[in-house]
Amino acid sequence: MHCVRLLHLLLEDNMSIVHVEGLRKIFGQGDLAVEALKDVSFSVEPGELMALLGPSGSGKSTLLLCISLIQEPSSGRITMNGRKIYDNGWTGIDVRRFRRENIGFIFQAHNLIPFLNARDNIAIAMEINGVHWKVARKRALELLDYLDLSNRATALPTILSGGEQQRVAIGRALANSPSIIFADEPTASLDTMRGTRVMELLKRIASEQQTAVITVTHDIRMIEGFDSLYHIVDGRLVIDDKINH
Amino acid sequence: MDLAIKDVQRHVGKFIATIIGVGLLMSIVLIMNGIYQGNTSDGIWLIDNTATDLWVVENGRGGPFNEQSRIAEESWESVAAIPGIEKASPFISYTVQRSLAGREQHFTIIGYDVFGGLGGPGRIVAGKTITQAHYEAVADMKTGLKLGERFRIGVHDYTVVGLTRKAVDAAGNPLLYLSLPDAQEVLYDQDNRARERSIASETARLIRAGYTPEAAKRLLPLLSAGSATVNAVLVKLRPGANQHLVVSRIERWLYFSVYTTDQQRDLMIEGKLKKMGAILGLFRLLLVIVSLVIIALLIYVLTVEKIKAIATLKLIGASNGIIVRLILEQSIVLTVSSFLFAWGVVQLTYDHFPRTLVLLPHETLASFLVFFIGGMASSLVGIVHALRTPPSLALGG
Repeated sequence: MHCVRLLHLLLEDNMSIVHVEGLRKIFGQGDLAVEALKDVSFSVEPGELMALLGPSGSGKSTLLLCISLIQEPSSGRITMNGRKIYDNGWTGIDVRRFRRENIGFIFQAHNLIPFLNARDNIAIAMEINGVHWKVARKRALELLDYLDLSNRATALPTILSGGEQQRVAIGRALANSPSIIFADEPTASLDTMRGTRVMELLKRIASEQQTAVITVTHDIRMIEGFDSLYHIVDGRLVIDDKINH
Repeated sequence: MDLAIKDVQRHVGKFIATIIGVGLLMSIVLIMNGIYQGNTSDGIWLIDNTATDLWVVENGRGGPFNEQSRIAEESWESVAAIPGIEKASPFISYTVQRSLAGREQHFTIIGYDVFGGLGGPGRIVAGKTITQAHYEAVADMKTGLKLGERFRIGVHDYTVVGLTRKAVDAAGNPLLYLSLPDAQEVLYDQDNRARERSIASETARLIRAGYTPEAAKRLLPLLSAGSATVNAVLVKLRPGANQHLVVSRIERWLYFSVYTTDQQRDLMIEGKLKKMGAILGLFRLLLVIVSLVIIALLIYVLTVEKIKAIATLKLIGASNGIIVRLILEQSIVLTVSSFLFAWGVVQLTYDHFPRTLVLLPHETLASFLVFFIGGMASSLVGIVHALRTPPSLALGG
């Protein structure tokens, strides 16, 4: 029985793009210690659009920080793209480099660089990754075209609407063709129409580019669009059933 | 893509205003440098440009510039008779506050023997030197007098026959050269009303002492102070003359104090100029410190303003080098542009400044390096703040 489970985990690990196992995060020490994540395990496959749901303080942001390699977990294992990143400690991989080459980020507040226009906000992510600026700008324009924003290429974030800013942020997340996108409340600051449009876009990206999209949200309006829903309560994944639509 | 330049382009107005502010502060530092050097330069200008070997002054006095010195006018003849002396001439220098060129101003009158004596104006930029015994003057341009202009000092009118440039006393006041008797007259002679009042007062005093009015009238000229005094005798030595021997003979035989030009310069630098130099030096140091603190604060504020953008850059994988470059480049642009602005301001105001500014290239370069290195060092505060900023700051509302 034990061997069958191990084989299942190995197969799952090979298929999945993100595999998290027994992840724990403890803040503080001794009597003051708070266990924010308790034995969290899940896997995400290429092209999967996954939602992490939960009330405030449930640990979903901590989980996002840990699996996006920003915050070090206390224990557990994280495997991404078949590479062991964390195994009860960083495995020695250049985390920042791994992040810029493999992960894209989308934020609730868009977080565009205020002094760069739409095109440059996308191109900078590629330049950081060593792409020549001419190539980066060309690809940025292609992405803006893909996102129906080609006419806003030279606009600064301040003159873009909320939906346009979020689409530019998605363009930036896609800039280096990442295998994983982490999205933190991507539709929270948008009205239903724009939120739905962003969700459709994420779905299209996931399916066309086989990118795994892991989204932290409590935007109930958008739940329909996800391939899988995970619910976190008090640091524990209490519902880990995948709901396939 | 140059993030620093992109950021500057977005806030170009604000950045220019910052450059102007910091630049003006730096220009004050450069001007203070100029005043500091100008103070020394002005202080010894007259000594260096009098072209004399020895300064003979009243015994025990540090004159004629640091302390008042009065010796009899004819003393120059006794000095000239000392072996080894080629030429000796009387010299007067005193600062007055009079109306000149239509305004009240502080200037120094130099009286010298206009017929080949020492102590006259060195380089005349317009006109000629004084050739008449009376009523001719050579004025520095800073007085505002024009060539050929007639002006009144005391009871006589004088004509400007020559102009000098940057001929100033130790305090930076312009010089007005007159013939010795004219200078003595301006210095010692009273105007007619004052003279009448003085005569009446002295006569009354003699009458009270028991003299008849006739006797008092005869005695009065003997009691009045004479105007035949000078401040110093300037000495030019014969080629090959033993300076020490000449100095020792003047001191022993004529009972005067003697200073070489080097000693006179040291006396000025260590005396009159020392305290002012120390004050200016302190101001200069304080200004540099204040400027560096302001630059540091500005760079820190510039960094803090974009801390969320920096966190986002870190989150999307930007290396520390990119973050450091962003802050450092802005610091360099701010420091260099501000310094260039300051340099331009000083160049434009240089000639119009009320005090002599002496800008030494090596000192300007040193100031630039202090600001540049200081700017780099102060940007470290911003860099440390940026590097300590966690990428997680980019997440959340």
